[in-house]
Amino acid sequence: MIIDINFIGLIIASIMASAVPLILASCGELITERSGVLNLGVEGMMIIGAISGFALMTVTGSLIIAIFGAMLAGVLISTIFAFLTQTLITNHVATGLALTIFGIGISAMIGKNFVGIPGKEFPVLFEGLKNTIPLLGPILFGHSIVFYFAFALPFITSYFLKKTKIGLIVRAVGDSPESASNQGINVRLVRYACILYGGAMSGLAGAYLSMIYTPQWIENMTGGRGWIALALVVFSTWNPIKILIGAMIFGGLTIIQFHMQAIGVRIPVQFLTALPYIVTIIVLVVISRDSRKIRLSTPSSLGKSFHKDN
Amino acid sequence: MNTNLKISNVTKIYPGCVANDNVSLEFNSGKIYALLGENGAGKSTLVKILSGVIIPDEGKIYLNENNLKLNSPLDAKKNDIGMVFQHFNLFETLSVFENLIIDSDEKREGLREKIDTIMKKYNFSIDLDIPVLNLSAGQKQKVEIIRSLIRNPKVLIMDEPTSVLTEQETSELFLSLKQFSEEGILIIYITHKLKEVMQLCDEVAVMRRGKLVSVSEIKNENIESLANKMVGQNLKTIKKTKEKTSSEQLIKITNLNFISDDPFETNLSDINFSVNRGECLGIAGISGNGQSELFQVLSGEIISDKNSIEFNKNYIGDLNPQERREYLMAFSPEDRLEQAAIPQMAIFENVALNNFKSSNFFNNGLINESKIKEHSKKIISDFNVNTDNIDLKSQFLSGGNLQKLIIGRELITSPDLLICFNPTWGLDVGAINYIHETLIKINEQNKSIILISTDTDELLKLSDKISVIHKGKLSKIMNAEEVTSEKLGILMGGGN
Repeated sequence: MIIDINFIGLIIASIMASAVPLILASCGELITERSGVLNLGVEGMMIIGAISGFALMTVTGSLIIAIFGAMLAGVLISTIFAFLTQTLITNHVATGLALTIFGIGISAMIGKNFVGIPGKEFPVLFEGLKNTIPLLGPILFGHSIVFYFAFALPFITSYFLKKTKIGLIVRAVGDSPESASNQGINVRLVRYACILYGGAMSGLAGAYLSMIYTPQWIENMTGGRGWIALALVVFSTWNPIKILIGAMIFGGLTIIQFHMQAIGVRIPVQFLTALPYIVTIIVLVVISRDSRKIRLSTPSSLGKSFHKDN
Repeated sequence: MNTNLKISNVTKIYPGCVANDNVSLEFNSGKIYALLGENGAGKSTLVKILSGVIIPDEGKIYLNENNLKLNSPLDAKKNDIGMVFQHFNLFETLSVFENLIIDSDEKREGLREKIDTIMKKYNFSIDLDIPVLNLSAGQKQKVEIIRSLIRNPKVLIMDEPTSVLTEQETSELFLSLKQFSEEGILIIYITHKLKEVMQLCDEVAVMRRGKLVSVSEIKNENIESLANKMVGQNLKTIKKTKEKTSSEQLIKITNLNFISDDPFETNLSDINFSVNRGECLGIAGISGNGQSELFQVLSGEIISDKNSIEFNKNYIGDLNPQERREYLMAFSPEDRLEQAAIPQMAIFENVALNNFKSSNFFNNGLINESKIKEHSKKIISDFNVNTDNIDLKSQFLSGGNLQKLIIGRELITSPDLLICFNPTWGLDVGAINYIHETLIKINEQNKSIILISTDTDELLKLSDKISVIHKGKLSKIMNAEEVTSEKLGILMGGGN
């Protein structure tokens, strides 16, 4: 069998495309968690983003409105979470779970009218360059703007956390909200901002799914990707670059197991489907074993409510 | 320039407690002021008001005649009031430099230069690029001080700064504070340690139950007079009467080693010691030198080689704490609310917790509540725990009362050996006195104590023999009469 080198490039590109929503949602959640907030509502925020993006695109016809509208929808639903956990000091875990259930329910309700409607084609960049370089051409060129943004995001996130003052404040709040508050940092404001940012990124991840990756609305179309995104954050030990690695492995195995199923490899389908989950977690655990680094990058106040007493 | 800080008629009322009752005080730069009082006397509240953490119900603060509005810690900072809290306000996982730059408006390079100048001037040496969690308590405090100094404060408030420091670190701190004072910074020093007030301060204000009871110059005071003002009654001084201890060996530790998987724990190497009946062995050391690991190994939280611990002629190194208790060992861990008691459970429930087998608290798996309550009441009255409500959640007990309760609970089986880890940490004079008396009584009943403590005065007062732990190794065991606090200080720092 002769394998076209550009075919390999296309497979790699499809792996990368499947990693995009994971990277977006994980990097958003990473910022939220670095500020000490555990938002388990990623799946819910993603699906809200997915239906909002698709619905707005269908109704307004504008891709820009649809993309930003999806992000805004993520922000709005995460505002509920922020209000509950930061202002009313509810439990992060319970509130996050409720958010996911709420998101899945409401998206299904809104989505009823959008089932079966075909999506629109999303413009891609550098289409013409695709065939200029063998192998690398299909990998590098001919993708949507969201795709490029997603692959820049881990590096931007890493730079933001390490090098900028606001990044430092986010880490400080996640490390010790009490100390931060005593330093005059408005802990609640920082946490609100981080939760809302996480919501925006989850919304964008959802919109990518319904508008670019598989341009249509299917009920429950996020299919657990929000949970994987959450797992990536934890198993990457809050390191954006490792999130990128994890998302690629997960995306890669998902695509490859499809191909294996298609070829008819004699391995039980259930095992193949489970494979990406298992391998991703094993790999991330193995590359994140340095307990010193874990201690340094784990937000000490993660999931704990901060109540300023006066 | 002279700095004048005036607190005028400050009142702060919490439900059920007047934390500050019409307090007025005046401070002038060039002097070091002590604010003295027991836990709960209201000094922390006053300090929090000065640093903007708490807003008073009534009263005003004036700095150089200007009425200050202190609504947040930021306001205090802006008004040149620096503050070093007892519990550090540091971010453990961030580097020292990140901790310092976070609330500074300066550029990286400029700030680094400034920090270097401060460190040189006051002889501090701290690596700016390592995470704070790798620093010792003394170094962390220096980071806090540098953080204040960066802003050129007019007022520097130190809240119980020596509770975590060694003897040497304390004298270093005092030197720095005197230097600051000479440079015109107004120093307010909050403490309940009388010796330090006498050593360091020029004037002393004493608070009791939210009220200011006296302001006086140090030269007119002595330790006894201050103690009596602070407690409001005459304190008896306790002293251990030296008796001949028996030569019967109770516990013997042989070649005990512990290697931790956690890089933030200390490994113990080659621990050897023995304690006779009726004896108190003190183990001194700067915190973080393996005390907590040693306590865990002795109590069975960490299990070691069976033969490494011989207790009452039994080898018990591989037993867990519950099993060790059956051999009549008892434990009082350092962290009263996290390790010794469960904060959300009632007093009587906490009393029942460590006695599963040797008591009649449980019948066929059911809780015998009346028995437990009866016993809890006995502990409360025998050990002078200041509450009559045994249904109270233990988190609402003050540190002193909780410690008394824990020691009382541990003594229920009349154990042969009590192992204590910093039993008087953070307690006030009255409670410390009581705990010390209790420990002496235990020795008098021919029971033994292993006292792991970072308080050298306490060790010298209570121990018959003393050893020092440094980087997980024990020094040779010395007779307490031959030891001075200076000698302990040198050993604690790793010297000979």
